[in-house]
Amino acid sequence: MSNSNEFKEKKRLTNPPQTVDIKIQRRDKLGENAYWETFTIPYRRNLNVISVLMDIRKTPVTKEGKQTTPPVWDMSCLEQVCGICTMVINGRVRQSCSALIDDLLVSDGGNTITLEPMSKFPNVRDLKVDRTRMFEHLKQVNAWIELDGTHDLGPGPTMSQETAQERYAYSRCMTCGCCLEACPQYHDDNYIGPQAIAQARYQNMHPTGKITIDERLEGLTQEDGITNCGNAQNCIQVCPMGIPLTRAIYETNRDITVNALFGWLRK
Amino acid sequence: MSIKLSKTFLLRKLHQITGIVPLGAFFFVHIFTNSKAMSGEKAFNDAVGDIHHIPYLLFVEVFGIFLPLIFHSIYGIFISAEARPNGFDYNYGRNWFYIFQRATGIFLFFFLLFHILNLRFGAIPGLESYGNPVAGNATQAFDIVQAEFRNAGILLFYILGVAATAWHLAYGIWLFAVDWGIVIGEKAQKYALYACIALAAGLFAVGTNAAFAFVRPCGLLPQAFCSELEENKITQPNAPRRF
Ligand code: SF4
Ligand code: SF4
Ligand code: FES
Repeated sequence: MSNSNEFKEKKRLTNPPQTVDIKIQRRDKLGENAYWETFTIPYRRNLNVISVLMDIRKTPVTKEGKQTTPPVWDMSCLEQVCGICTMVINGRVRQSCSALIDDLLVSDGGNTITLEPMSKFPNVRDLKVDRTRMFEHLKQVNAWIELDGTHDLGPGPTMSQETAQERYAYSRCMTCGCCLEACPQYHDDNYIGPQAIAQARYQNMHPTGKITIDERLEGLTQEDGITNCGNAQNCIQVCPMGIPLTRAIYETNRDITVNALFGWLRK
Repeated sequence: MSIKLSKTFLLRKLHQITGIVPLGAFFFVHIFTNSKAMSGEKAFNDAVGDIHHIPYLLFVEVFGIFLPLIFHSIYGIFISAEARPNGFDYNYGRNWFYIFQRATGIFLFFFLLFHILNLRFGAIPGLESYGNPVAGNATQAFDIVQAEFRNAGILLFYILGVAATAWHLAYGIWLFAVDWGIVIGEKAQKYALYACIALAAGLFAVGTNAAFAFVRPCGLLPQAFCSELEENKITQPNAPRRF
Protein backbone atom coordinates (compact mmCIF):
# COMPACT_ATOMS: atom_id res chain seq x y z
CA MET A 1 0.00 0.00 0.00
CA SER A 2 0.95 3.63 -0.28
CA ASN A 3 4.12 4.73 1.43
CA SER A 4 2.62 8.12 2.14
CA ASN A 5 0.70 6.63 5.03
CA GLU A 6 3.72 5.38 6.92
CA PHE A 7 4.67 7.34 9.97
CA LYS A 8 7.86 9.20 9.39
CA GLU A 9 9.95 10.84 12.04
CA LYS A 10 9.61 14.51 11.27
CA LYS A 11 12.77 16.32 10.33
CA ARG A 12 12.80 19.80 11.80
CA LEU A 13 13.97 22.76 9.84
CA THR A 14 17.10 23.66 11.76
CA ASN A 15 17.92 26.90 10.02
CA PRO A 16 14.67 28.43 8.78
CA PRO A 17 14.81 31.19 6.16
CA GLN A 18 13.57 34.71 6.94
CA THR A 19 11.04 34.62 4.10
CA VAL A 20 9.54 32.06 1.77
CA ASP A 21 8.81 32.65 -1.92
CA ILE A 22 5.51 31.25 -3.16
CA LYS A 23 5.35 30.88 -6.93
CA ILE A 24 1.76 30.49 -8.12
CA GLN A 25 0.47 29.59 -11.53
CA ARG A 26 -2.46 31.87 -12.20
CA ARG A 27 -5.22 32.05 -14.77
CA ASP A 28 -7.93 34.67 -14.94
CA LYS A 29 -10.60 32.41 -16.29
CA LEU A 30 -11.18 29.13 -18.11
CA GLY A 31 -9.47 29.09 -21.49
CA GLU A 32 -7.21 32.09 -20.89
CA ASN A 33 -3.46 31.82 -20.76
CA ALA A 34 -1.78 30.94 -17.52
CA TYR A 35 0.95 33.12 -16.04
CA TRP A 36 3.18 33.00 -12.99
CA GLU A 37 3.31 35.31 -9.99
CA THR A 38 5.68 35.06 -7.05
CA PHE A 39 4.86 36.30 -3.58
CA THR A 40 7.20 36.65 -0.62
CA ILE A 41 5.89 36.00 2.86
CA PRO A 42 7.71 36.08 6.18
CA TYR A 43 8.48 32.63 7.54
CA ARG A 44 6.93 31.42 10.79
CA ARG A 45 6.78 27.93 12.23
CA ASN A 46 3.96 25.53 11.28
CA LEU A 47 2.73 27.32 8.21
CA ASN A 48 0.88 25.20 5.69
CA VAL A 49 0.08 25.98 2.08
CA ILE A 50 -3.44 27.16 2.88
CA SER A 51 -2.29 29.55 5.63
CA VAL A 52 0.32 30.91 3.24
CA LEU A 53 -2.37 31.47 0.60
CA MET A 54 -4.49 33.24 3.22
CA ASP A 55 -1.57 35.52 4.03
CA ILE A 56 -1.15 36.34 0.36
CA ARG A 57 -4.86 36.99 0.00
CA LYS A 58 -4.67 39.70 2.71
CA THR A 59 -2.08 41.72 0.80
CA PRO A 60 -1.92 40.50 -2.80
CA VAL A 61 1.32 42.23 -3.78
CA THR A 62 3.89 40.29 -5.79
CA LYS A 63 7.56 40.01 -4.96
CA GLU A 64 8.25 42.77 -7.50
CA GLY A 65 5.81 45.04 -5.64
CA LYS A 66 3.00 44.83 -8.19
CA GLN A 67 -0.53 45.01 -6.84
CA THR A 68 -2.55 42.04 -8.11
CA THR A 69 -5.78 40.13 -7.53
CA PRO A 70 -5.95 37.70 -4.60
CA PRO A 71 -5.32 34.12 -5.77
CA VAL A 72 -8.32 31.80 -5.85
CA TRP A 73 -8.33 28.24 -4.49
CA ASP A 74 -10.76 25.76 -2.99
CA MET A 75 -10.80 24.61 0.62
CA SER A 76 -13.23 23.21 3.10
CA CYS A 77 -12.39 20.69 5.84
CA LEU A 78 -8.76 21.73 6.39
CA GLU A 79 -7.94 18.24 7.67
CA GLN A 80 -7.39 16.17 4.51
CA VAL A 81 -10.83 14.62 4.46
CA CYS A 82 -12.75 16.46 1.76
CA GLY A 83 -10.09 16.56 -0.96
CA ILE A 84 -11.24 19.85 -2.45
CA CYS A 85 -7.97 21.71 -1.79
CA THR A 86 -5.89 19.36 -3.97
CA MET A 87 -3.22 21.05 -6.10
CA VAL A 88 0.23 20.40 -7.51
CA ILE A 89 2.81 21.48 -4.95
CA ASN A 90 6.46 21.47 -5.99
CA GLY A 91 5.53 19.28 -8.95
CA ARG A 92 3.59 16.68 -6.96
CA VAL A 93 -0.13 16.46 -6.45
CA ARG A 94 -1.44 16.55 -2.85
CA GLN A 95 -3.81 18.35 -0.51
CA SER A 96 -2.67 21.87 0.27
CA CYS A 97 -4.22 21.91 3.77
CA SER A 98 -1.95 19.10 4.93
CA ALA A 99 1.16 20.32 3.08
CA LEU A 100 3.36 21.88 5.76
CA ILE A 101 5.81 24.53 4.65
CA ASP A 102 8.48 23.21 7.02
CA ASP A 103 8.23 19.75 5.49
CA LEU A 104 8.36 21.11 1.96
CA LEU A 105 11.44 23.19 2.72
CA VAL A 106 13.15 20.20 4.31
CA SER A 107 12.30 17.71 1.57
CA ASP A 108 12.74 19.90 -1.50
CA GLY A 109 15.39 22.39 -0.33
CA GLY A 110 15.56 26.03 -1.38
CA ASN A 111 13.03 28.54 -0.15
CA THR A 112 10.62 28.66 -3.08
CA ILE A 113 7.39 26.70 -3.13
CA THR A 114 5.58 26.22 -6.43
CA LEU A 115 1.81 25.92 -6.58
CA GLU A 116 -0.06 24.85 -9.70
CA PRO A 117 -3.61 23.72 -10.29
CA MET A 118 -4.07 20.07 -11.24
CA SER A 119 -3.25 19.78 -14.94
CA LYS A 120 -5.76 17.09 -15.89
CA PHE A 121 -8.95 19.01 -15.07
CA PRO A 122 -10.44 22.20 -16.55
CA ASN A 123 -8.74 25.06 -14.74
CA VAL A 124 -11.54 27.41 -13.67
CA ARG A 125 -9.34 30.05 -12.16
CA ASP A 126 -5.90 30.20 -10.50
CA LEU A 127 -5.66 27.05 -8.36
CA LYS A 128 -9.29 26.01 -8.74
CA VAL A 129 -10.30 23.16 -11.03
CA ASP A 130 -13.58 21.60 -12.11
CA ARG A 131 -13.78 17.90 -11.17
CA THR A 132 -17.24 17.21 -12.60
CA ARG A 133 -15.80 14.47 -14.79
CA MET A 134 -14.99 12.35 -11.76
CA PHE A 135 -18.68 12.35 -10.89
CA GLU A 136 -19.55 11.53 -14.50
CA HIS A 137 -17.23 8.54 -14.20
CA LEU A 138 -19.08 7.38 -11.08
CA LYS A 139 -22.31 7.52 -13.07
CA GLN A 140 -20.74 5.60 -15.94
CA VAL A 141 -19.91 2.67 -13.62
CA ASN A 142 -23.17 2.78 -11.62
CA ALA A 143 -21.21 3.30 -8.42
CA TRP A 144 -24.20 2.71 -6.18
CA ILE A 145 -26.44 -0.12 -5.05
CA GLU A 146 -29.97 -0.32 -6.43
CA LEU A 147 -32.60 -0.31 -3.74
CA ASP A 148 -36.22 -0.64 -4.65
CA GLY A 149 -38.71 1.52 -2.75
CA THR A 150 -38.69 2.85 0.78
CA HIS A 151 -40.22 -0.13 2.55
CA ASP A 152 -38.29 -2.11 5.14
CA LEU A 153 -36.16 -4.74 3.41
CA GLY A 154 -35.07 -6.41 6.64
CA PRO A 155 -31.44 -6.83 7.65
CA GLY A 156 -28.96 -6.75 4.78
CA PRO A 157 -26.90 -9.77 3.75
CA THR A 158 -23.90 -10.60 5.88
CA MET A 159 -20.42 -9.94 4.66
CA SER A 160 -17.13 -11.51 5.72
CA GLN A 161 -14.83 -9.44 7.89
CA GLU A 162 -12.25 -9.38 5.10
CA THR A 163 -14.72 -8.08 2.55
CA ALA A 164 -15.93 -5.47 4.99
CA GLN A 165 -12.40 -4.31 5.63
CA GLU A 166 -11.48 -4.04 1.99
CA ARG A 167 -14.72 -2.23 1.26
CA TYR A 168 -14.03 0.15 4.09
CA ALA A 169 -10.73 1.05 2.44
CA TYR A 170 -12.49 1.88 -0.84
CA SER A 171 -15.19 3.83 0.97
CA ARG A 172 -12.65 6.42 2.07
CA CYS A 173 -12.21 7.88 -1.41
CA MET A 174 -12.79 11.64 -1.27
CA THR A 175 -12.80 12.19 -5.06
CA CYS A 176 -9.79 14.47 -4.72
CA GLY A 177 -8.29 13.61 -8.12
CA CYS A 178 -4.70 12.93 -7.03
CA CYS A 179 -4.75 9.51 -8.67
CA LEU A 180 -5.92 10.92 -12.00
CA GLU A 181 -3.41 13.75 -11.89
CA ALA A 182 -0.49 11.35 -11.36
CA CYS A 183 -1.74 8.72 -13.81
CA PRO A 184 0.35 8.87 -17.00
CA GLN A 185 -2.52 7.39 -18.99
CA TYR A 186 -5.15 9.93 -17.95
CA HIS A 187 -5.46 13.14 -19.96
CA ASP A 188 -8.22 14.91 -21.86
CA ASP A 189 -10.66 12.61 -20.11
CA ASN A 190 -9.66 9.68 -22.33
CA TYR A 191 -9.75 7.17 -19.49
CA ILE A 192 -12.16 6.51 -16.68
CA GLY A 193 -9.30 6.22 -14.21
CA PRO A 194 -8.51 4.40 -10.99
CA GLN A 195 -10.95 6.31 -8.75
CA ALA A 196 -14.05 5.11 -10.62
CA ILE A 197 -12.63 1.59 -10.99
CA ALA A 198 -12.14 1.42 -7.21
CA GLN A 199 -15.68 2.67 -6.60
CA ALA A 200 -17.06 0.06 -9.01
CA ARG A 201 -15.10 -2.57 -7.15
CA TYR A 202 -16.45 -1.20 -3.85
CA GLN A 203 -20.02 -1.82 -4.98
CA ASN A 204 -19.24 -5.08 -6.79
CA MET A 205 -17.95 -6.51 -3.52
CA HIS A 206 -21.23 -5.85 -1.77
CA PRO A 207 -23.53 -8.91 -1.75
CA THR A 208 -26.45 -6.83 -2.99
CA GLY A 209 -24.29 -4.79 -5.33
CA LYS A 210 -23.03 -7.97 -6.96
CA ILE A 211 -26.44 -8.46 -8.55
CA THR A 212 -25.77 -5.62 -10.97
CA ILE A 213 -22.07 -6.32 -11.53
CA ASP A 214 -22.60 -6.60 -15.30
CA GLU A 215 -23.80 -3.01 -15.54
CA ARG A 216 -20.71 -1.77 -13.73
CA LEU A 217 -18.39 -3.91 -15.83
CA GLU A 218 -20.06 -2.62 -18.95
CA GLY A 219 -19.17 0.91 -17.85
CA LEU A 220 -15.58 -0.27 -17.63
CA THR A 221 -15.35 -1.98 -21.02
CA GLN A 222 -16.24 1.18 -22.94
CA GLU A 223 -13.80 3.11 -25.09
CA ASP A 224 -12.40 4.93 -22.04
CA GLY A 225 -12.53 1.83 -19.86
CA ILE A 226 -10.16 -0.15 -17.73
CA THR A 227 -7.97 -1.41 -20.59
CA ASN A 228 -6.53 2.09 -20.86
CA CYS A 229 -4.64 1.46 -17.62
CA GLY A 230 -0.92 1.14 -18.33
CA ASN A 231 0.01 -0.31 -14.92
CA ALA A 232 2.37 2.49 -13.96
CA GLN A 233 0.84 2.24 -10.49
CA ASN A 234 1.39 5.90 -9.68
CA CYS A 235 -2.20 6.10 -8.48
CA ILE A 236 -1.61 3.95 -5.42
CA GLN A 237 1.55 5.86 -4.59
CA VAL A 238 -0.17 9.23 -4.49
CA CYS A 239 -3.60 8.38 -3.05
CA PRO A 240 -3.74 10.31 0.23
CA MET A 241 -6.32 7.91 1.65
CA GLY A 242 -4.16 4.84 1.05
CA ILE A 243 -6.86 3.23 -1.06
CA PRO A 244 -5.75 -0.11 -2.58
CA LEU A 245 -6.37 1.19 -6.09
CA THR A 246 -4.22 -1.37 -7.86
CA ARG A 247 -6.01 -4.22 -6.09
CA ALA A 248 -9.29 -2.74 -7.31
CA ILE A 249 -7.95 -2.56 -10.86
CA TYR A 250 -6.64 -6.13 -10.93
CA GLU A 251 -9.63 -7.71 -9.17
CA THR A 252 -11.81 -5.92 -11.70
CA ASN A 253 -9.57 -7.14 -14.52
CA ARG A 254 -10.25 -10.65 -13.32
CA ASP A 255 -14.00 -10.02 -13.18
CA ILE A 256 -13.83 -8.65 -16.70
CA THR A 257 -11.80 -11.56 -18.02
CA VAL A 258 -14.27 -14.00 -16.54
CA ASN A 259 -17.55 -12.17 -17.18
CA ALA A 260 -16.92 -10.04 -20.24
CA LEU A 261 -14.20 -11.70 -22.26
CA PHE A 262 -15.15 -15.31 -21.62
CA GLY A 263 -18.76 -14.66 -20.64
CA TRP A 264 -19.92 -16.09 -23.97
CA LEU A 265 -18.53 -19.48 -22.98
CA ARG A 266 -21.29 -19.73 -20.39
CA LYS A 267 -24.07 -19.02 -22.85
CA MET B 1 -27.28 -9.78 -19.36
CA SER B 2 -24.29 -9.85 -21.59
CA ILE B 3 -21.65 -7.19 -21.44
CA LYS B 4 -21.09 -4.94 -24.45
CA LEU B 5 -17.43 -4.66 -25.37
CA SER B 6 -16.07 -1.55 -27.04
CA LYS B 7 -13.66 -1.52 -29.95
CA THR B 8 -10.86 -0.12 -27.79
CA PHE B 9 -11.41 -2.85 -25.25
CA LEU B 10 -11.14 -5.62 -27.85
CA LEU B 11 -8.15 -4.05 -29.59
CA ARG B 12 -6.28 -3.70 -26.27
CA LYS B 13 -6.95 -7.29 -25.36
CA LEU B 14 -5.87 -8.40 -28.83
CA HIS B 15 -2.74 -6.28 -28.50
CA GLN B 16 -1.89 -7.92 -25.17
CA ILE B 17 -2.45 -11.43 -26.44
CA THR B 18 -0.62 -11.05 -29.77
CA GLY B 19 2.43 -9.94 -27.79
CA ILE B 20 2.52 -13.28 -25.99
CA VAL B 21 1.16 -15.62 -28.68
CA PRO B 22 2.33 -15.66 -31.42
CA LEU B 23 5.04 -12.99 -31.10
CA GLY B 24 6.51 -13.96 -27.72
CA ALA B 25 6.36 -17.64 -28.56
CA PHE B 26 8.06 -16.91 -31.88
CA PHE B 27 10.89 -15.11 -30.10
CA PHE B 28 11.60 -18.22 -28.04
CA VAL B 29 11.74 -20.35 -31.19
CA HIS B 30 13.86 -17.72 -32.90
CA ILE B 31 16.62 -17.58 -30.29
CA PHE B 32 16.50 -21.35 -30.00
CA THR B 33 17.26 -21.58 -33.71
CA ASN B 34 19.92 -18.87 -33.49
CA SER B 35 21.60 -20.72 -30.64
CA LYS B 36 22.22 -23.65 -32.96
CA ALA B 37 24.95 -21.49 -34.43
CA MET B 38 26.90 -22.38 -31.28
CA SER B 39 27.36 -25.86 -32.75
CA GLY B 40 28.65 -24.45 -35.96
CA GLU B 41 27.75 -23.69 -39.50
CA LYS B 42 26.12 -26.98 -40.43
CA ALA B 43 23.85 -27.14 -37.40
CA PHE B 44 22.60 -23.62 -38.05
CA ASN B 45 22.13 -24.10 -41.78
CA ASP B 46 20.23 -27.32 -41.15
CA ALA B 47 17.99 -25.50 -38.70
CA VAL B 48 17.26 -22.84 -41.32
CA GLY B 49 16.61 -25.60 -43.84
CA ASP B 50 14.15 -27.21 -41.45
CA ILE B 51 12.26 -23.95 -41.17
CA HIS B 52 12.05 -23.82 -44.96
CA HIS B 53 10.27 -27.15 -44.83
CA ILE B 54 7.59 -26.18 -42.35
CA PRO B 55 4.30 -27.15 -44.00
CA TYR B 56 2.14 -24.18 -45.06
CA LEU B 57 5.18 -21.98 -44.47
CA LEU B 58 3.81 -18.93 -46.24
CA PHE B 59 0.57 -19.18 -44.30
CA VAL B 60 2.45 -19.58 -41.01
CA GLU B 61 4.70 -16.65 -41.82
CA VAL B 62 1.90 -14.30 -42.81
CA PHE B 63 -0.67 -15.18 -40.15
CA GLY B 64 1.71 -16.27 -37.42
CA ILE B 65 4.30 -13.52 -37.72
CA PHE B 66 3.75 -10.68 -40.15
CA LEU B 67 0.12 -9.79 -39.47
CA PRO B 68 0.37 -10.04 -35.66
CA LEU B 69 3.63 -8.11 -35.77
CA ILE B 70 2.19 -5.34 -37.91
CA PHE B 71 -0.87 -5.07 -35.66
CA HIS B 72 1.09 -5.22 -32.42
CA SER B 73 3.65 -2.64 -33.50
CA ILE B 74 1.30 -0.15 -35.12
CA TYR B 75 -1.32 -0.29 -32.39
CA GLY B 76 1.54 -0.16 -29.88
CA ILE B 77 2.65 3.15 -31.36
CA PHE B 78 -0.89 4.47 -30.90
CA ILE B 79 -0.87 3.34 -27.27
CA SER B 80 2.51 4.96 -26.71
CA ALA B 81 1.24 8.22 -28.16
CA GLU B 82 -1.39 8.31 -25.40
CA ALA B 83 1.18 8.28 -22.64
CA ARG B 84 2.01 11.41 -20.67
CA PRO B 85 5.22 10.21 -19.00
CA ASN B 86 5.91 11.83 -15.62
CA GLY B 87 8.77 9.74 -14.28
CA PHE B 88 10.69 12.66 -12.83
CA ASP B 89 7.83 14.05 -10.76
CA TYR B 90 6.53 10.61 -9.79
CA ASN B 91 9.76 8.72 -9.51
CA TYR B 92 8.64 5.13 -8.90
CA GLY B 93 9.96 1.88 -10.32
CA ARG B 94 6.72 0.80 -11.94
CA ASN B 95 6.30 4.22 -13.48
CA TRP B 96 9.72 3.89 -15.13
CA PHE B 97 8.87 0.38 -16.31
CA TYR B 98 5.73 1.86 -17.84
CA ILE B 99 7.82 4.43 -19.72
CA PHE B 100 10.43 1.85 -20.63
CA GLN B 101 7.86 -0.52 -22.11
CA ARG B 102 6.85 2.23 -24.52
CA ALA B 103 10.45 3.27 -25.24
CA THR B 104 11.56 -0.29 -26.01
CA GLY B 105 8.45 -0.75 -28.13
CA ILE B 106 9.26 2.25 -30.29
CA PHE B 107 12.90 1.21 -30.57
CA LEU B 108 11.82 -2.29 -31.58
CA PHE B 109 9.57 -0.90 -34.27
CA PHE B 110 12.63 0.50 -36.04
CA PHE B 111 14.92 -2.35 -35.10
CA LEU B 112 12.57 -5.02 -36.43
CA LEU B 113 11.93 -3.05 -39.59
CA PHE B 114 15.68 -3.05 -40.15
CA HIS B 115 16.13 -6.67 -39.09
CA ILE B 116 13.41 -8.00 -41.37
CA LEU B 117 14.52 -5.96 -44.38
CA ASN B 118 18.12 -6.90 -43.67
CA LEU B 119 18.11 -10.67 -43.12
CA ARG B 120 14.65 -11.79 -44.26
CA PHE B 121 14.51 -9.80 -47.48
CA GLY B 122 18.13 -8.73 -48.08
CA ALA B 123 16.86 -5.31 -48.93
CA ILE B 124 19.25 -2.98 -47.10
CA PRO B 125 21.62 -1.59 -49.73
CA GLY B 126 25.28 -1.39 -48.80
CA LEU B 127 25.15 -4.31 -46.39
CA GLU B 128 26.61 -7.75 -47.04
CA SER B 129 23.22 -9.44 -47.28
CA TYR B 130 21.88 -7.05 -49.94
CA GLY B 131 20.11 -9.19 -52.53
CA ASN B 132 21.15 -12.32 -50.65
CA PRO B 133 18.90 -12.81 -47.61
CA VAL B 134 19.01 -15.73 -45.19
CA ALA B 135 15.48 -16.76 -46.10
CA GLY B 136 15.65 -19.07 -49.11
CA ASN B 137 19.42 -19.52 -48.82
CA ALA B 138 19.68 -22.19 -46.15
CA THR B 139 23.02 -23.47 -47.40
CA GLN B 140 24.65 -20.06 -47.00
CA ALA B 141 22.65 -18.87 -43.99
CA PHE B 142 25.52 -18.97 -41.51
CA ASP B 143 27.92 -17.19 -43.86
CA ILE B 144 25.45 -14.46 -44.63
CA VAL B 145 24.84 -13.68 -40.97
CA GLN B 146 28.53 -13.96 -40.18
CA ALA B 147 29.46 -11.52 -42.92
CA GLU B 148 26.90 -9.10 -41.48
CA PHE B 149 28.01 -9.52 -37.87
CA ARG B 150 31.67 -8.91 -38.68
CA ASN B 151 30.61 -5.30 -38.79
CA ALA B 152 30.83 -4.38 -35.11
CA GLY B 153 28.21 -1.65 -35.46
CA ILE B 154 25.65 -4.09 -36.87
CA LEU B 155 26.48 -6.67 -34.20
CA LEU B 156 25.99 -4.05 -31.49
CA PHE B 157 22.69 -2.96 -33.01
CA TYR B 158 21.49 -6.55 -33.00
CA ILE B 159 22.55 -7.02 -29.39
CA LEU B 160 20.60 -3.90 -28.44
CA GLY B 161 17.67 -5.36 -30.33
CA VAL B 162 17.94 -8.59 -28.36
CA ALA B 163 18.11 -6.63 -25.09
CA ALA B 164 15.06 -4.54 -25.95
CA THR B 165 13.08 -7.58 -27.08
CA ALA B 166 14.02 -9.58 -23.99
CA TRP B 167 12.84 -6.80 -21.70
CA HIS B 168 9.75 -5.87 -23.71
CA LEU B 169 8.65 -9.50 -23.82
CA ALA B 170 9.42 -10.38 -20.20
CA TYR B 171 7.75 -7.25 -18.81
CA GLY B 172 4.97 -7.78 -21.34
CA ILE B 173 4.30 -11.16 -19.77
CA TRP B 174 4.02 -9.45 -16.40
CA LEU B 175 1.65 -6.87 -17.88
CA PHE B 176 -0.42 -9.61 -19.43
CA ALA B 177 -0.66 -11.41 -16.10
CA VAL B 178 -1.92 -8.31 -14.29
CA ASP B 179 -4.14 -7.02 -17.09
CA TRP B 180 -6.02 -10.28 -17.34
CA GLY B 181 -6.46 -10.47 -13.60
CA ILE B 182 -4.19 -13.49 -13.21
CA VAL B 183 -1.73 -11.94 -10.73
CA ILE B 184 -3.63 -9.60 -8.42
CA GLY B 185 -2.05 -9.11 -5.01
CA GLU B 186 0.80 -6.79 -4.22
CA LYS B 187 3.15 -9.57 -3.10
CA ALA B 188 2.22 -11.85 -5.97
CA GLN B 189 2.92 -9.02 -8.39
CA LYS B 190 6.30 -8.44 -6.82
CA TYR B 191 7.38 -12.06 -7.13
CA ALA B 192 5.96 -12.28 -10.64
CA LEU B 193 8.03 -9.24 -11.52
CA TYR B 194 11.21 -10.85 -10.15
CA ALA B 195 10.49 -13.91 -12.26
CA CYS B 196 10.02 -11.74 -15.35
CA ILE B 197 13.25 -9.84 -14.68
CA ALA B 198 15.06 -13.18 -14.43
CA LEU B 199 13.43 -14.26 -17.68
CA ALA B 200 14.55 -11.04 -19.38
CA ALA B 201 18.13 -11.60 -18.19
CA GLY B 202 18.05 -15.20 -19.39
CA LEU B 203 16.67 -14.31 -22.82
CA PHE B 204 19.22 -11.55 -23.18
CA ALA B 205 22.12 -13.84 -22.26
CA VAL B 206 21.04 -16.62 -24.61
CA GLY B 207 20.21 -14.25 -27.46
CA THR B 208 23.49 -12.36 -27.15
CA ASN B 209 25.54 -15.52 -26.98
CA ALA B 210 23.80 -16.77 -30.12
CA ALA B 211 24.75 -13.56 -31.92
CA PHE B 212 28.39 -13.96 -30.91
CA ALA B 213 28.32 -17.57 -32.07
CA PHE B 214 28.42 -16.26 -35.63
CA VAL B 215 31.76 -14.57 -35.13
CA ARG B 216 33.33 -16.94 -32.61
CA PRO B 217 32.60 -20.66 -32.24
CA CYS B 218 30.35 -21.33 -29.26
CA GLY B 219 29.83 -17.60 -28.80
CA LEU B 220 31.11 -16.16 -25.56
CA LEU B 221 31.27 -19.54 -23.83
CA PRO B 222 34.40 -21.70 -23.64
CA GLN B 223 34.54 -23.84 -26.74
CA ALA B 224 34.55 -27.10 -24.77
CA PHE B 225 30.99 -26.22 -23.88
CA CYS B 226 29.78 -26.90 -27.40
CA SER B 227 30.58 -30.61 -27.55
CA GLU B 228 29.83 -31.34 -31.14
CA LEU B 229 32.10 -28.68 -32.52
CA GLU B 230 34.60 -31.08 -34.07
CA GLU B 231 32.02 -32.89 -36.11
CA ASN B 232 30.91 -29.77 -37.90
CA LYS B 233 33.02 -27.74 -40.18
CA ILE B 234 33.50 -24.51 -38.32
CA THR B 235 34.02 -21.30 -40.13
CA GLN B 236 36.68 -19.57 -38.11
CA PRO B 237 36.24 -15.85 -37.68
CA ASN B 238 39.31 -15.20 -39.84
CA ALA B 239 38.41 -17.68 -42.57
CA PRO B 240 38.24 -16.20 -46.07
CA ARG B 241 34.85 -14.94 -47.14
CA ARG B 242 33.08 -17.05 -49.71
CA PHE B 243 31.26 -14.47 -51.67
S1 SF4 C 1 -8.81 7.14 -5.01
FE1 SF4 C 1 -7.51 8.32 -3.62
S2 SF4 C 1 -6.43 9.75 -4.94
FE2 SF4 C 1 -8.12 8.95 -6.12
S3 SF4 C 1 -9.77 10.39 -5.84
FE3 SF4 C 1 -10.04 8.82 -4.28
S4 SF4 C 1 -8.95 9.57 -2.49
FE4 SF4 C 1 -8.25 10.80 -4.22
S1 SF4 D 1 -1.94 1.82 -12.56
FE1 SF4 D 1 -3.31 2.42 -14.19
S2 SF4 D 1 -4.71 3.81 -13.23
FE2 SF4 D 1 -2.97 3.65 -11.83
S3 SF4 D 1 -1.62 5.34 -12.44
FE3 SF4 D 1 -1.03 3.56 -13.60
S4 SF4 D 1 -2.08 3.71 -15.54
FE4 SF4 D 1 -3.09 5.06 -14.08
S1 FES E 1 -9.52 21.31 2.68
FE1 FES E 1 -10.43 19.32 2.77
S2 FES E 1 -8.75 18.09 2.18
FE2 FES E 1 -7.82 20.04 2.27
